[in-house]
Amino acid sequence: MLMQQLLNGIVVGSVYGVFALGFTLIFGVNHIMNMAHGAVFMWGAFAGLYAVTMLDVGFPGALLFGAVGGGLLSVLLDWVAFRPLRKRGASDFSAIVSSIGANLILLSLAQQLTQTRVMRFPFDTFPIKVYTIFGLRIQLLQLVIVGLVILMVLGLVWYLYRTSYGRQIRAVAFSEQTSRLLGINPVAINFQVFFISGALAGIAGVLIGLVFNSVHFMMGEPLLLRGFVVIILGGLGSIPGALIAGLLIGIVQTMTVAYISAGMADAIVFSLLFLVLLFRPKGLLGGASAAVRVNRQ
Amino acid sequence: MTFFNVYTPLFELALFNALLAFSQYIVLRAGVFSLGTAAFTAMGAYCAGVMATQYGLPSWMGICAGTLLGAVAGVILSVPLARLRGVFQALATLALVQIVLSITLNWVSVTNGALGVNSIPRTVHLSHMLIAVAVVTYLLWAIGRSSIGRAFDIIREDETVAVSLGISVPKHHRIAFTLSGMIAGLAGALHAHASYSITPNEYGFHMLVMVLAMVVLGGRVSVAGPIVGAIILTSLPELLRAFDSYRTVVQGAVLMLSIVFLPRGVVDTALSWLRARRLKAGTATKEARA
Repeated sequence: MLMQQLLNGIVVGSVYGVFALGFTLIFGVNHIMNMAHGAVFMWGAFAGLYAVTMLDVGFPGALLFGAVGGGLLSVLLDWVAFRPLRKRGASDFSAIVSSIGANLILLSLAQQLTQTRVMRFPFDTFPIKVYTIFGLRIQLLQLVIVGLVILMVLGLVWYLYRTSYGRQIRAVAFSEQTSRLLGINPVAINFQVFFISGALAGIAGVLIGLVFNSVHFMMGEPLLLRGFVVIILGGLGSIPGALIAGLLIGIVQTMTVAYISAGMADAIVFSLLFLVLLFRPKGLLGGASAAVRVNRQ
Repeated sequence: MTFFNVYTPLFELALFNALLAFSQYIVLRAGVFSLGTAAFTAMGAYCAGVMATQYGLPSWMGICAGTLLGAVAGVILSVPLARLRGVFQALATLALVQIVLSITLNWVSVTNGALGVNSIPRTVHLSHMLIAVAVVTYLLWAIGRSSIGRAFDIIREDETVAVSLGISVPKHHRIAFTLSGMIAGLAGALHAHASYSITPNEYGFHMLVMVLAMVVLGGRVSVAGPIVGAIILTSLPELLRAFDSYRTVVQGAVLMLSIVFLPRGVVDTALSWLRARRLKAGTATKEARA
């Protein structure tokens, strides 16, 4: 029973990790807290679902549509909500407010589109196969999810640390002005950052929609709130931190639901965020530079 | 007079929203990015509601206790929160809103869970709300003109300058948090006694967004800003009855457009425009005399 819950926690937590990776990427590069990231996640799930039901593209197609849909929406969001503010050199505050507005718009458009219904992926989207290993019941879907998450993380790390584009992204994250002097075009970098993070959110949306077998317009909000906890806990801009914290939050949450009560899960997760901000604001794996940004001296 | 009677609930709502907006305004003015207003409001509302229904205490005691609870919560939370910066203050207070929401949902023996506290005596009317708003407006106006208000303005514009002038940033952030908690507690307690029943989900993310929108739209420096923001955003849904189902789209668009095109809010932009015009007129007459 305990091991079974641990397994479920790891599967859900790894998806949280992927969602938070995009979040932490935008924060690391643009220093923006993107409150509309949950809406991108939700629309990614919608794109995957509609692709399956209307175009009959199957599981890989759903992932592809989810990724592209989420990526494009995220780029659009950057264009409409953040670019005008960046041009003006506005504060963090403006970016948060503007993305809260964008989040509201995206949410209620989704509500209108679906008429507040809860939708499901068709029964045969993913074959239901259950393996029993040492008394643990493992679904094929769970294995595929963990495999996909590992692949995506390796891909992201390769892109950021082994390609020229990745080096440019890290340069802009370090200092946009300096990178401009070096001939890097920040517009192209922002395009990539927002596309990648939106695509990760879209894939996470399709996966969560499959795991819980429900897709609805409010599905992004709990994930967004968990996303905050994950990136604070893991340390800002830290990729391994986001993954470890994602897993941890997934496990804590499934354990609380299984052994304490479903209602207390939120209280525990958010108390954790509060405590981390108070006692270790740079997060589990954040560097010294993160601490400077969090605390006043 | 009939117009007045028909729209009394709307006026009451506008005044309640104005109080909430004040609670958000005072922290933003001091450069604190707190989103905790919804949490403090929930504390005040539940304090007043529970005291009235479970212990049968008179309303004024509940309202005083709610205000006090908000203020005390503000003081206690300000100690850790004043250490944090911008976005992190926002996240910590967002976590606070979620924690309070979880408690009100799950502490069933006191808060009655998701059903909320019901049949609270309705003792607060439009006149009481008007008095409360007038008192808070005066209080904030007086504070705004004192040395504390000037310190708030400097901290908001540039923290480094504030520190170099010998202004203690944590101390002023604590003052702002306390005032914010107090005003929100008062607003919650008054609202509980004006609306018969309260439920946990009223005080969630939606309230947080609405309150933020009012202050961003109205303005963060002048005391009139939050009032104007509250009036606009309370009457907007009534004016937009035709687009009922797209109400939230409009609210989101207002939030985005005002932060992009009117970053200082309606009132502050108008005031600085008037001031600029007056200065111009002043120099013109001087030149004419010379």
